[in-house]
Amino acid sequence: MLLRLKGIEKRFGGLTALRNGNLTVNAGEVHLLMGENGAGKSTLMKIVAGLLQPDGGTFEWKGQPVAFSRPADAAALGIAMVHQESLLAPHLSVAENIFLGREQSFWVKRREVVARAAKLIEEHRFPLNAEWRVDRLSPAGKQLVEICRAISQGSSLLIFDEPTSSLSDAETAEVFKIVRTLKARGMGVIYITHRLDELRSVGDQVTVLRDGATVHTSPMAELTTDQLIRHMVGRELSALYARTPVAPGEVVLSIDQLCVPPLLKKISLNVRAGEIVGLAGLVGAGRTELCRAIFGVDRCASGRILINGKEQRLRSPQDAAAAGIALIPEDRQRTGLATARPIGENTNLASLDKVSRYGLVDQAAADRVTTDFIARLRIRAESPQQRAGRLSGGNQQKVVIAKWLARGARVFLFDEPTRGIDVGAKAEVFEVMDELARQGAAILMVSSELPELLQIADRILVMRAGVLTGELARGATQEQVMRLAAFHDARPEAAQAGSAA
Amino acid sequence: MKPKLPGGLNLQRLLPFASLIVLFAGLSIATPNFLTETNLSSVIRQTAVINIMALGMTMIIIAGGIDLSVGSILAFGGLMGTMALEKGQPIVVGVAVGIVAGMFWGFINGLLTTRLKINPFIVTLGTLGIVRGITLIVSNGLPVHNIPQSFSYLGEGILGGVPFVLWILLVCAGAVHVLLEHTKLGRYAFAIGSNPDAAYYAGIPVAFHTISVYAIGGALTGLAGMIEASRLMTGQPTAGQGYELQAIAAVVIGGGSLRGGEGTVVGTLIGAFIMGLLSNGSDLLGISPYLQQAIIGAVIILAVTVDELRKRRT
Ligand SMILES: Nc1ncnc2c1ncn2[C@@H]1O[C@H](COP(=O)(O)OP(=O)(O)OP(=O)(O)O)[C@@H](O)[C@H]1O
Ligand SMILES: [Mg+2]
Repeated sequence: MLLRLKGIEKRFGGLTALRNGNLTVNAGEVHLLMGENGAGKSTLMKIVAGLLQPDGGTFEWKGQPVAFSRPADAAALGIAMVHQESLLAPHLSVAENIFLGREQSFWVKRREVVARAAKLIEEHRFPLNAEWRVDRLSPAGKQLVEICRAISQGSSLLIFDEPTSSLSDAETAEVFKIVRTLKARGMGVIYITHRLDELRSVGDQVTVLRDGATVHTSPMAELTTDQLIRHMVGRELSALYARTPVAPGEVVLSIDQLCVPPLLKKISLNVRAGEIVGLAGLVGAGRTELCRAIFGVDRCASGRILINGKEQRLRSPQDAAAAGIALIPEDRQRTGLATARPIGENTNLASLDKVSRYGLVDQAAADRVTTDFIARLRIRAESPQQRAGRLSGGNQQKVVIAKWLARGARVFLFDEPTRGIDVGAKAEVFEVMDELARQGAAILMVSSELPELLQIADRILVMRAGVLTGELARGATQEQVMRLAAFHDARPEAAQAGSAA
Repeated sequence: MKPKLPGGLNLQRLLPFASLIVLFAGLSIATPNFLTETNLSSVIRQTAVINIMALGMTMIIIAGGIDLSVGSILAFGGLMGTMALEKGQPIVVGVAVGIVAGMFWGFINGLLTTRLKINPFIVTLGTLGIVRGITLIVSNGLPVHNIPQSFSYLGEGILGGVPFVLWILLVCAGAVHVLLEHTKLGRYAFAIGSNPDAAYYAGIPVAFHTISVYAIGGALTGLAGMIEASRLMTGQPTAGQGYELQAIAAVVIGGGSLRGGEGTVVGTLIGAFIMGLLSNGSDLLGISPYLQQAIIGAVIILAVTVDELRKRRT
């Protein structure tokens, strides 16, 4: 037995994040940690990794009680963590980030560090280059660097906090392969994820947290997905998302031969009122770039964007917003959220006009919007005044969604809207999308989670390396999508392309 | 475009360097008085003080900090060192006293920012006043005059045909470059300035390294204070006013980022020399000192704009 946690408690001011955290992890086991957003998963793991100190309970490591005061304490005993939010130094190289904090001598031999990193990367065939600067990497590339970092520490327990939420399927498969290798080497692995589709392929044991307490633990094989969901949300909920059938109306968003250097080439598509169009593809295919171009962030070299048949000149997000376009961005920390400000300010940020008169904000009206969305999207927060940065990862994502929903629009671009949010909240988000569609909005949705995309979208467009490679009607299979999306030459540029702009 | 390692000499450094060359060539043509040994030596002497301070500032800015108190520290270091000389200490001891005195205040700055967790801008704005005040109190507002004549060699002497300060500058620059690029301390400075959370989670002793960086910055400022004192042959309690802005400007013109994580020694040297040539050239060309200030201000904005554009492009 590696790790045993019993009755772990943790409070943040008035908020109890953990009441009764129990978890036992054995060597050579992949242990899944499941639970709704804000259930306390990351908090529990941060305690294990020495980033937070528990307020109560017992913590045993290989049978001995331990207490960590710094991350280095945990690392010294062989515990490593891949974090949910990227924790890398953006100006340093991949190699330097992998070995950061573990330089052996006062003198740093760059070439040696690079060589060691290159060897590690080569071993796992990651699409990375040891000498690249980290700020040029896409979220997926950064995630891979974190994984390299954790495996290079030679730890006996590895914690993955949602490692695949920003990875494509191919990269996810690679991560699973790594997890299995580590397991075969006798390491313990704790794995947090919200992607129900990936559980069975990797997990041995599962522990479910709800409202800060462990409510279930058992071998994965003994549990059906529906049972698992019931443990997580504490009520019946189907993993299937239903759409209300609506007859598509007029074409609202129309894109004609759009080219955006360096990636996008001659993209043409239409989205009708009441339609949800899914955009599938691998990471780096250009889906995010397409959304950014439509939203006026990136300049188009040629081609036209039409809203309700009228050509638009979209030079900035302001133009796009004025034309009735809303973008829910994928990178919530960088583009989505004012982390130091209260939730209430974030939800109203894009729609202050709606709740102000003569330039003065009607605070009561603004608060109504916030409380409404906190209830609708089940945001787990202390109060609307809580700082957004203090929320759990998934709840931050919900605040970003609320901000754009509050504003309203005719065209919604959802870029990975369900990344990192729990099953219950996913159902809510899809319900909201369904409702928007019924009210006549045109929705373009990017998602790397194929099963949900197949369920929610009326039709699916597939992109590969900056071009549209095909369109599939409702009822398509995952294989059909993958065939259009997969590219066989695994170029190292793939992990880098996402942030090229 | 292949992303480059930070710090490596590459295309991005070429532009400030090219500007320096153009400026140099332009001045050589525009005025016959420029390309003379006397004038060039005087440019080197004038810029050496700012240059050495700017080296320390480069480290501090890379680590995500800033030090507004260097002008005051310069005066304090110079005063302490010259007071030791006045008491009959040998010159080496006097210079060491100046360096240690500067290092002390750098240490205090680092300690305050890391322990109290106050923004370094505020901390050093505070110590700017405190150190200047203490310097004035200790000296009673009066300069130290009783200094051995040989002390002037530090700032005015010639070794191997070039000003002695040039050698000091080159040694300091080489040391800081090696420190930044090839030692743990330097790499940690980049990491801390780049993302302090990542540095902390990586198990880096963030406070220790931050304090070290400020202390080294202070030591270099103390040395600069002794050079300044040697050039004036007095320990002036009012020396160095406004130097902090020139040092910061040199770093920024050289590609340093006030958001941390970026900056190079070569860039800073070029930045300091560009400013030095601008003011020397304006003097030679008879441009009014009032206009000079405006020109230098405009150059700072121009340099940073160009640098930002380059970063956005890659
Ligand atoms: N530093 C903090 N200050 C205040 N509250 C916090 C802090 N960190 C976490 N919390 C709160 O603790 C609770 C548990 O958060 P935690 O991050 O552990 O959730 P999680 O299970 O990882 O959720 P997710 O699936 O969304 O990542 C949340 O309600 C969150 O708002
Ligand atoms: Mg979490």
